Amino acid sequence: MLGNLKGLMVTLSTFFRKPVTYQYPKEHKPIEDRYMGFPVLMWDANVGEPYCTGCMVCVRYCPTSCISAVMKDNPLHADGQSTRRKIVDNFEINLGRCILCGICVDVCNFDAIEMSHEHELSKYARNGNRTDLSKLLEMGKAYQEETGWRPEKETKKEEAVEAEN
Amino acid sequence: MSAVETLLLVSAILGLLTGLSVVVLSLTWLERKFLGRIQMRIGPMRVGPFGLLQPVADAVKLMAKEDLLSSWVDRVVYWVAPLVVFVPTFMIWVTIPITRDLVIRNLDMGLFYIIALSVLSIVGLVTAGWASSNKYAVLGGFRAAAQLISYEIPLILAVLGVAMLAQSLNLENVVNSQGAFSYALIQPLGLVIFFVAGLAELGRTPFDIHPAESEVVGGPFVEYSGAHWAVFFLAEYINTFAIAALTVLLFFGGWLFPGLPGDVSGLGVLVFLIKTYLVILVIFWVRGTYPRLRIDQLMSLGWKVLVPLAFVNVVITSVYLFYGWPAWSLSLMSLAILGTAVWEISRRMRTAPTPEYTVRLYVPSSEASSAG
Repeated sequence: MLGNLKGLMVTLSTFFRKPVTYQYPKEHKPIEDRYMGFPVLMWDANVGEPYCTGCMVCVRYCPTSCISAVMKDNPLHADGQSTRRKIVDNFEINLGRCILCGICVDVCNFDAIEMSHEHELSKYARNGNRTDLSKLLEMGKAYQEETGWRPEKETKKEEAVEAEN
Repeated sequence: MSAVETLLLVSAILGLLTGLSVVVLSLTWLERKFLGRIQMRIGPMRVGPFGLLQPVADAVKLMAKEDLLSSWVDRVVYWVAPLVVFVPTFMIWVTIPITRDLVIRNLDMGLFYIIALSVLSIVGLVTAGWASSNKYAVLGGFRAAAQLISYEIPLILAVLGVAMLAQSLNLENVVNSQGAFSYALIQPLGLVIFFVAGLAELGRTPFDIHPAESEVVGGPFVEYSGAHWAVFFLAEYINTFAIAALTVLLFFGGWLFPGLPGDVSGLGVLVFLIKTYLVILVIFWVRGTYPRLRIDQLMSLGWKVLVPLAFVNVVITSVYLFYGWPAWSLSLMSLAILGTAVWEISRRMRTAPTPEYTVRLYVPSSEASSAG
């Protein structure tokens, strides 16, 4: 019987606690730094082109075959501005089919694809989650800006230098 | 009755209906907000500021919803049942005074009338369950009958205690006789009995055995949808408001408040509404706290605890009245009995032996014989 009163006190104390609700579309819950969202393409701001060369290794390793890529000769390489001979011409990920396994990121030789913080799948069109190159790069730039991402090759080099010193 | 009087009566009843509908809308909003906060949520927020228009949106949705009819229902009974539940709950309000002047008919047998009518809605629940031709609905209807009839007795006896103190069945006299002390102070035992039995009468959460979603998927209301379901819903909330209002009128001095003039109408309405909504918040608070009772627990609480306590309440009240003792003696007796009951129940709950369960596997006789 006294336990009943204790129960009433418990609900009374929760009544005065701050609600934990996020008003979702208006208000987003902060995402953790290591959150693994959809894979997106990274942008090499030094040259002004994507890191991706369209080598298709992610396409071959993707377990759900949701990636497709087309390669082309890099016009910037002909001008001598870029060291990349080939560059991605067309790239598409069907995010509705992606299972967020991260294999594309592991197999990429150019640090060109990363698991971003993007996670929202609701679209107005049935194929609205088929995301093309420009959209993927846009998402990638947002991710780079948000996290200060740098390619693994650079960070590894710096680490090696630091270890020598 | 002259034409003017008839017109006045009709407009008063229409006004009552409108007022009660507004109250129901406010109650659904309040309940969702309050339960939300208890569960550390914020409740409805999207429709209107603070979700204030949510009940209106719900009402529109219910009215626009298709009224489904399963093919085996007993149509006449099925369509009449919501009215049988709704009409008595509405008719109760004819004699519940909001304040001294704000009442449609101040009946001298007011309490008797209220009790007589409140029993009627059981018929509606049972017929709704039966007409639905659905086993959950029938089960829910029978549960409703069993529960409401058992809890009617302590409820009536608690009301009887108040009527004995006030020497009247007229609600206005009951309130006016609480000018010095509210009956909650003089008769705390009666208040507890009335409140618990009232919750059971409403079929609200610790006692929502008959609409229990997890057992009988909504009880008598399983098959109803759209506007007919809305009528049941309306009746349930009007009933909640009625029990809260009766608690205030019988035990908390209605529109009277110490230090405030009792004969100013507007002030009286305000005091009455504040008190009633506070009682309703307690009802919601209880709903947010306790899980549902089992049906055997419900029955034993009713018959083994509340009915004897209610009789004791009547007996001590009559002893007090017969010998003309001072009021504090009744409050002392009442509190002592309440304390003893609480102490005894908690002692029994602590020391009750844990029941031993034996598991018997059902083995078909042919296999049992072959297994040897």
